[in-house]
Amino acid sequence: MTHVDFRQKSHLHPDLTQPGAATTNADKLLGRWFNTNHETRGIAECTIYRDGDAFKVSIMGVGEDGPINWPTVKAIPLANLEEEAGQRTMALLATFELGFMRVETHMRINKGVFVIVLFATFLDGSGRANYLNREFFYRQS
Amino acid sequence: MQFAQISDLVETEPIHDRDVDRSALAGKWINSNPDTTSIARVNVFEADGKLQLQVFAVGPDGVVDWGTTSANVFTAGPASRTGAGFTATFDFGFAEARLQAMIMKGLLVLAQFHLFKDDSKRAGYFLREYYAKTHDLF
Repeated sequence: MTHVDFRQKSHLHPDLTQPGAATTNADKLLGRWFNTNHETRGIAECTIYRDGDAFKVSIMGVGEDGPINWPTVKAIPLANLEEEAGQRTMALLATFELGFMRVETHMRINKGVFVIVLFATFLDGSGRANYLNREFFYRQS
Repeated sequence: MQFAQISDLVETEPIHDRDVDRSALAGKWINSNPDTTSIARVNVFEADGKLQLQVFAVGPDGVVDWGTTSANVFTAGPASRTGAGFTATFDFGFAEARLQAMIMKGLLVLAQFHLFKDDSKRAGYFLREYYAKTHDLF
């Protein structure tokens, strides 16, 4: 019998070894998403696309004189054990290295709404506090 | 001052880690879901000026103590001095568990990202659960 390491029951969830577990319902995540808050001072939009087997994330921040394009990054696809089987949509983990700031994010679909949770760490000694934020997005129809 | 979104453009007196109020984060947090197959309890406390986490998870045969690790504290905005969440990582060797937590309506919302490094062919996975701070007020 093969030994499988674990630190919690869900490490042994049988669905984790199913083919394609980390890309379930990927089509629900792909596309161009716009912030539901038209007055956001944070992320205006986010685009997720596939590049071969990879998932790429592109973010556009709200700037003073127009949008600010963040560098496109490769995301880590994750199986979603949060939802009931059949409703599950994969989630993504992505880190943006912006030089003066690192932004760690996770992205998921919740009842059709795309959610980005971000944790920003300033690296520039500006004295700004590291902070978190959560924003909601709808898909362009 | 550099920024990637206009909300980052704030003028503030320098805010050091020690200036951030972590009192809302510290405490003993228990999972609201008694049937969880994941983290059952999180003890959050300060030691040596750092926020520390001790995690207890549900295993097939009882509680599994993950041990203690340091956490990075995050506020609700770049000019805020109030701790609103944290991130932390546990490295088990065969897998890594990355945690991202935020306080919402008095609950700790804990997102977990489990990335396997062994040859078990398990997919990395995501979980998010809710934790209440235990107290003896009522």
